[in-house]
Amino acid sequence: MLRSSALSLALGYVALGIIALVLFAAPLWYAWQVTIQDGRAEILQVDAQRLTEVFRRDGAEGAKSFIDARVRMQIAGERILLLTDASLHPMSGNLPAWPPNVPLVPGNYKVKIELGDHGMQTALLHVATLDSYHLLVGRDNALFAPLQTRFWYGLAAAIAVLSIAGLLIGLITRRALLTRIDSIRQTVTAIIHGDLQHRLPTHLNDDELNTLSRTINGMLEQIELLVHGVRNVSNSIAHDLRTPLAELRSRLEELALIRPPPEQAFAEIDGAVTDVDRVIRIFDALLRLAEIDAGLRRSGFVALDVADLAANAVEFYAPAAELKNIDLAFRSDGPGPVSGDPVLLAQALGNLIDNALKYAPVNGSIEVAVLKRGDGTAQISVSDDGPGIVDSEKSKVMERFYRGDASRGTPGVGLGLSLALAVAKLHGSVLELSDRNPGLRVAITLALDAASTAALTTTTQETATGEVTESATLAAS
Amino acid sequence: MKILLVEDNERVTQFVVKGLQEAGHTTDHAGNGRDGMFLAASEPYDVIIMDRMLPGGIDGLAIIEVLRKAGKRTPILILSALSEVDDRIRGLRSGGDDYLTKPFAFGELLARIDALHRRAEAINTEIPLTVGDLHMDPLTRKVTRGDRAITLQPREFKLLEYLMRHAGQVVTRTMLLENVWDYHFDPQTNVVDVHISKLRQKIDAEFERPLLRTVRNAGYTVTADD
Repeated sequence: MLRSSALSLALGYVALGIIALVLFAAPLWYAWQVTIQDGRAEILQVDAQRLTEVFRRDGAEGAKSFIDARVRMQIAGERILLLTDASLHPMSGNLPAWPPNVPLVPGNYKVKIELGDHGMQTALLHVATLDSYHLLVGRDNALFAPLQTRFWYGLAAAIAVLSIAGLLIGLITRRALLTRIDSIRQTVTAIIHGDLQHRLPTHLNDDELNTLSRTINGMLEQIELLVHGVRNVSNSIAHDLRTPLAELRSRLEELALIRPPPEQAFAEIDGAVTDVDRVIRIFDALLRLAEIDAGLRRSGFVALDVADLAANAVEFYAPAAELKNIDLAFRSDGPGPVSGDPVLLAQALGNLIDNALKYAPVNGSIEVAVLKRGDGTAQISVSDDGPGIVDSEKSKVMERFYRGDASRGTPGVGLGLSLALAVAKLHGSVLELSDRNPGLRVAITLALDAASTAALTTTTQETATGEVTESATLAAS
Repeated sequence: MKILLVEDNERVTQFVVKGLQEAGHTTDHAGNGRDGMFLAASEPYDVIIMDRMLPGGIDGLAIIEVLRKAGKRTPILILSALSEVDDRIRGLRSGGDDYLTKPFAFGELLARIDALHRRAEAINTEIPLTVGDLHMDPLTRKVTRGDRAITLQPREFKLLEYLMRHAGQVVTRTMLLENVWDYHFDPQTNVVDVHISKLRQKIDAEFERPLLRTVRNAGYTVTADD
């Protein structure tokens, strides 16, 4: 139990409180003792003074009767009085004899003496010598004992209250803390066992545990997303690679079984190689998607002109559009400096144009536009006049391997839009699909990067393999 | 051409060595990093094909770095199963000249080796290029075939220039994508083929002998030979 942090903290505070109390009480006690002692010594001195005056005025007999009268008046034990002659023979007072441990030298003493019916008591004494007589005036210390006792009781009670309260608060805090930590522990255990949907309980207040819980929840959110992505990818691999692999397998098995003449066999082998290429192509697309999803490609971010990138993509696809007699137009309002990954953005835009080319009708038109908007962003859009996508399918088309009804019979692996979406997400954007009636408009909005405008001039389109990405990474680091 | 292949996978080795032999090249083979390093440092090769992950404690990139530090300028093609862009950048940064991801088509490998070899022979970008009766002047950007001038778009010019610089060699679609358009991804459709056929329209259509030819299962080549 002492290993509980809340409890040991509480106990530490209790100990500190006790030490503070004692430190406060000790000098108080000392000052009190000194004050009382001094006060009493003074009273005793005054008493002795008066007796001395009586002795001077009335002689030994006078003093004796004065003391006798005083002894008769007073409450027993409160005041100690003794007058003896030179041979220490008691003449008057309430002590039976001169205490043996009290010296005959005038002064103040604090000694234990026999007080008749009260037994041994500590007393404060004043000794005076009057001619050959000895005078002893004193006070019984026991008089103040109850006060002292009360002081100690008070101190003990304060310490007790402090300890109990501290212990209670410690236990309650520990209990509250344990309850919350236990719920966190349970959630985490559930997550360890594979159920990623659990989240830590959070409260409205903003204490440390709550902040921590929120942060952990954010982390879990991200982990779930990634795990979901991985699961998606493996499902997709299982689903979409199985088919071409199965085809390939049966093709090869058939070849081994039938053993056709060389000409036919070679044709079959060529077909098999094409099958393998298709598998590799899907595999590459999936790997690249996974790479983008993991956010690993941020290292490739450089300052680039998105209008230039789009113009190049349009130029690249122009002959393919011509072949289908599609009017592929490009529109932009000047350079669009952004920070992004040139390879991925080109691929995403390429996929969008490629899709548009697939779905736009013969003699149709496609427009690629890069237009700046008032809020410091530039929008890249690809619009076609094809069949479009009905609202109910809009979210589905971005799923991996989803192929809409309209796409049946067209080539492709069904990863184009999901890759474009992943690239848009990596650049902090989304893929906006809207209707053109007829046709589809797909847009990605990127934040314009004013600072990178100057750097643009240095990133030109190099031709040698890998050189662009290389210089790009250098510029980014 | 004398080629060194540093590769530990027997199947791949057999496939590559046989293919290179058929293409008329002499190939030495090293099965681990230590032997590869020794051969690469001691023998003169035209091109080295280096697998990235090798047994024997020395990784392919380390060998390349050592060779480059020792002043060896032999063109090196890195062969790797690591396909991520960062891996590629790391490979090229270590001193490799080209990067090919496994699995690969043999035609692609052969074309890239030829290109590397050609690149190593100092290229003068100002000398006019000639293939048969097709002439290109990179400085004036004039293209003629026979006595007829041919007008080309800038990108068509770049495409033809790349093909003519590799005249007689096979150039794959991926090589064209990377070098003419700087696209390091698979554009899914056969856009490169469309560009080639457009170019062919301009330089070959009205002539008896076609210069721009398709090489089945590999790519294209520009040649005046039969």
